[in-house]
Amino acid sequence: MQIITRQVKGKPLTVTIEYPEYNETVTTLVHKISSMDVGFSANTDGRQVKIGLSEVYYIENVERKLFIYTAKEVYRLDSSMSEVEAMTIDTDLVRISRTCIMNTDHLKEIRQVKNSHLEAVLDNDEMLVVSRKYLKDIKRIFQKG
Amino acid sequence: MKKIFKDTCIIAALMILSVFSISIIWSGITDEIGLVLKLFGLAFIISVANFLFDEYITLSIAVSYIVKYFVITGIVMLFGFIVGWFYPGNFWMAFIYVGVVIVLAYLIDSIKVKKDIAYINARITGRD
Repeated sequence: MQIITRQVKGKPLTVTIEYPEYNETVTTLVHKISSMDVGFSANTDGRQVKIGLSEVYYIENVERKLFIYTAKEVYRLDSSMSEVEAMTIDTDLVRISRTCIMNTDHLKEIRQVKNSHLEAVLDNDEMLVVSRKYLKDIKRIFQKG
Repeated sequence: MKKIFKDTCIIAALMILSVFSISIIWSGITDEIGLVLKLFGLAFIISVANFLFDEYITLSIAVSYIVKYFVITGIVMLFGFIVGWFYPGNFWMAFIYVGVVIVLAYLIDSIKVKKDIAYINARITGRD
């Protein structure tokens, strides 16, 4: 695969994919690039900030309020779980419990705590509880590529 | 193989429902048709209970199956008393019927969870 980058002034960022045959790799590439364009407008200390999808570690619903967690910061999001889910279809974000949506790009490991629940360990070593019911949805994300 | 077994179960259920639905037109609800309809009704109630349980309660796999065992047995007993399957002398049989299904479901689920975790972790390792 060749990667060619060139500056074209006065035009928005454009990605062109050339392929000899449309296959799974192309689908994955399109999916990855499309997901980079998704972002959230969140609030912190009374000011609004734009958070790119890749920065999101997880989104949690706490007492009917949504919070976005990045590697180190927490932001308030004026939205609902169902709206976030609709926005993040075809991205690497996936619901892992009734109250949490996780970005699988930051997933380091899934483990079953002995005789107990499932845990997702993120690359910042934060741990999230995973409902068994949603394990197949996480698997589906990895099956997509 | 798993998909074939799953499809077989779905097709069998659809065949039973469609054949019996047509039979109702000709001969009304016979005892056999009534039994099948009651079983489908019970399966629906258990599925709803199972969905709500999985959605709202987070427990370890073993504990969740133990709790489910008692909840589902309770539902089966209640349903059985209402539709006349059970009477005070044989209601304990619900514990055996549900027990067999729960043990099988637990074994399948625990194996599946382990396989899914291994798959996901292997993909993460491959990605890194």
